[in-house]
Amino acid sequence: MRLIKMPQMIIEVVSAIFKKPFTRQYPFTRPDVPERLRGRQIFHPERCISCGLCARDCPAEAIEMVDVNGKKMPMIHLESCIFCYLCVENCPRNALTESTIYELASASKEALALKPEMPKQKEEVAGDSENVNI
Amino acid sequence: MKATTPEEEAIIALQGTLRDSILESKTPRPRRVYIRVKPKANKKAVSSLLKTFPATIISTITGIDVGENIEINYHFWSGKTEVTIRTEIPKSKPEIDTITDIVPGASLYEREVHDLLGVKFIGHPNLTRLLLPESWPKDSYPLMKDWNPEHVGSLDASLEETLTIGGIEKNGGSLVNVVVGPQHPALHEPERFLFKLDGEIVVDVEPRLGYAHRGIEKGAERLMFFQDVHLVERVCGICNVAHTTCFCQAVEALGNIEAPPRARYLRTIVHELNRIHSHLLLLGIAGLEIGFESLFQYIWRDREMVLDLTEKLTGNRVMAEYSTIGGVRRDLTSTLGNEIKRGLKKLKDRLNFYREVLQSDPTIELRTKNIGILSREKALKLSVVGPVARGSGVESDVRKHDPYAAYEEAPFDEILYKDGDSWARLMVRLDEVDESIDIILWAIDNIPGGPFRTRVPRRMPEGEALSRVEAPRGELIHYVRGNGTAYPERVKIRSPTLANIISFREMIRGCYVADIPAVLISLDPCFSCTDRMAFIDERTGRKWVWSMRDLKDRRRA
Amino acid sequence: MMLEGNFFFRTLIFPGFLFLFLLTLFCDWFERKIMARMQNRMGPSYTGPFGILQPLADYIKLLTKEDITPRHAKQFLFTITPIISFSIFMLSIFCFPIDGVNIFSNYGFEGDLLLVLALVTFAHFVLFLSGWSSSNPYSGIGAVRIVTQFIGYDIPLIISTLGPAFLARSLSLTKIASSQNIPFAILTPWTFIVFLISLQAELEEDPFDVPHAETEIVAGYGTEFSGRKLAFIRLSKDTQIIFGAALAATLFLGGPYGPIPSDPTSLWFIIYFVLKMLFVIALLELVEAVCARLRIDHIMIGNWRIIIPAALISVIITVLSSPYIKPLMEAII
Repeated sequence: MRLIKMPQMIIEVVSAIFKKPFTRQYPFTRPDVPERLRGRQIFHPERCISCGLCARDCPAEAIEMVDVNGKKMPMIHLESCIFCYLCVENCPRNALTESTIYELASASKEALALKPEMPKQKEEVAGDSENVNI
Repeated sequence: MKATTPEEEAIIALQGTLRDSILESKTPRPRRVYIRVKPKANKKAVSSLLKTFPATIISTITGIDVGENIEINYHFWSGKTEVTIRTEIPKSKPEIDTITDIVPGASLYEREVHDLLGVKFIGHPNLTRLLLPESWPKDSYPLMKDWNPEHVGSLDASLEETLTIGGIEKNGGSLVNVVVGPQHPALHEPERFLFKLDGEIVVDVEPRLGYAHRGIEKGAERLMFFQDVHLVERVCGICNVAHTTCFCQAVEALGNIEAPPRARYLRTIVHELNRIHSHLLLLGIAGLEIGFESLFQYIWRDREMVLDLTEKLTGNRVMAEYSTIGGVRRDLTSTLGNEIKRGLKKLKDRLNFYREVLQSDPTIELRTKNIGILSREKALKLSVVGPVARGSGVESDVRKHDPYAAYEEAPFDEILYKDGDSWARLMVRLDEVDESIDIILWAIDNIPGGPFRTRVPRRMPEGEALSRVEAPRGELIHYVRGNGTAYPERVKIRSPTLANIISFREMIRGCYVADIPAVLISLDPCFSCTDRMAFIDERTGRKWVWSMRDLKDRRRA
Repeated sequence: MMLEGNFFFRTLIFPGFLFLFLLTLFCDWFERKIMARMQNRMGPSYTGPFGILQPLADYIKLLTKEDITPRHAKQFLFTITPIISFSIFMLSIFCFPIDGVNIFSNYGFEGDLLLVLALVTFAHFVLFLSGWSSSNPYSGIGAVRIVTQFIGYDIPLIISTLGPAFLARSLSLTKIASSQNIPFAILTPWTFIVFLISLQAELEEDPFDVPHAETEIVAGYGTEFSGRKLAFIRLSKDTQIIFGAALAATLFLGGPYGPIPSDPTSLWFIIYFVLKMLFVIALLELVEAVCARLRIDHIMIGNWRIIIPAALISVIITVLSSPYIKPLMEAII
């Protein structure tokens, strides 16, 4: 066992004491997300034509067509969704668009679903009341 | 009978020895040869191939249910071309000779085919289960086309493996059997090792795989090709780009689709970013395993930069989901390209610091130099791949010898170290990060214009294709067979850790117990890659089988 | 010694048990914070200002967890060894002159250096028993490693304490501390370095981390403990670190003595003592941050071939150079 000095490592370690730590203190500071982060999808009910392509193409079978006022619209189960955006790409009318909403934690399974609503209601973010303000 | 290309050389050599045992042979693409032989002649074919190309390694063995027979494909890489020797055996009597006496590296693959399709390999030294649990019913073979999850009743969780697995007996005397796993702080994924110890020295080891087995090969037959890309990606989180690239290349070869040149370069960029990420992760963990926590924290801090760059390019930090059949899904803008170049140049400076530490730190030297040595001959015989092989001096880099994507034009070197110990394997990875940074910088500067994606039909024609890429851990193979519909007939995945895990036994013999984590981590085991097929979780004591329907109903309850 | 009220106050509250307990928690926080800063991260930050209540929160959490005893463990030993080891370490700190005099309000006796070292040896044996009684192969390996390592490194530890004892012409901790007008660490740095290395091995810190190397044997001797017993095991480990720092501060850094700006003197003694202890802890953490873990055979071979001869040689050098050092000791700053 040789006791040789390791100058680079010692210098690095000692100087790190005086530097600012690398940790980002979430949730007090928010990171800057890149603009094309694959976050939660946004659904525009007025554009949907009920073709069902999104539900058929989803690899995780996370989209269910539910009945909303006579029309069939997709409801995305976010706990199964893998955020691959095949539904966003394949929708012929762009009814599902991308966003960078990534804070999706919620306290119940029912709240963790992207429900379709009819156009006259303002779109609600799922489980908003339990989340931190974005 | 002049042989002009390696493919023809292989065919001619085999025709010479086998004569009329060869039923057909074809070369649909460069470096891909398929030869069909009679069942009794498989051993002769393999040994004749080994005589013609001494540096042959076995890639994998695929078993496919084709109606009345089971087709067995032996995939070999012979140094210049990929040769597949196939034969068919009837389902009524599924027996065939083993080839483990001439190719020892084939033992795990034969066990896998035995486990999942019920083929008996005559003469195999240890034909036991590899992936399925011990309590799985005896005659239920998941990869058969008529297999149904209902065939498996309730599993008896008490039928657990005793300590006499795989030929290591529990004997008295001074030898102690120590079980490491499935839960242990040194292991990042669950697997089980049974060590036979003499005091503090390891005498033998037997790994038991299958704890992260999920049923991906069977599940891939129920999704369409373009959905399968996302399923295959989840074989492994860390090398996910390699899996998607390989699968997309295989399906494109199957459907005779040509990805646009810009897409090939973009695939290369993401592939190399993923490789940098994986190698940095491993170097940090290697530091942690040998007790050097500060190195772990520093390297992972620098890894964050690579993850941020990947996020900007693909939309996600780890699971890139970037390649698709026919190209890639997003484009690279020039601002992003400059940002990537700036970030990577900063990383290159940090790498010099880490190289100094790895080369001159005395405690690291004590823990990794001359520990876990794998000689070049053993590496060739056991068919190891990736940095493990390159650390022992074996030239095995798919990017150099079987180029794909943009690697034919990219200038880079293959990193080789001759020592064969743990230190060499870590240094190979460090140098490869350097090379990857150079490749990315070159690719961003030389990327061609044009489209980055072509639209492809959902149906793929009948046929087969084999695709190989260099994942961070070694050679990754996907073998895809289509049957004219939008659903694949068979998808076979062989990931590099399965090839390397046999070498662990050779490396660890004669080392101390304290060296086990250091040697294991220099192998870079990724067990979620290794076991990709399962359907049951009996470790928690659950005693029934859930089908996809049940799982969906369950999660919405 | 008369059992008066002052005695109980000194023993139990200040600078006795309660003070030392709080000092243990504080040093635990300090250790984690300095290690984190060296690794460019934050360390405890949210519990209390600057995270100072984090060790207390950890212990309270441990007390609320379930206490499981394995069926095959030796029940009596399993329960009693954590408490005994903690008590022995705590008792050995009582002998140090924390505020000029030790806890029992006297200047100790000749030879309490030997008492302290003997107590620590016994405490390590108790830790070995705690691992041995757990009937778990990982604990067994950890327990054997503790004994192997400690038996080896106890020898250079004791030998290197002979240097200061010789220079101070006494084996009493108080006398050694008070005879240092200039600290021995500056006058005889060779002995200080050997002492620090043996101390690092005795405290089982990196690079001598082997007895509880997580990635190899789960948690070594502490694998099977949970709940309250685990709290005691961790407390005894932290108290061990305080003991080591106090020993180094007393023998080599001049104990509680230093320039005193104002009255009351005993308060300044305590402040200096604690500051010197923190300095020693920071040095040990620095060594921990830059080294990897050595294997057990490296540690033992290194001990017999390098450290013990180095300790002997350092004592010889101290004795030979004492005529030159003596006048420096008498010089008043």
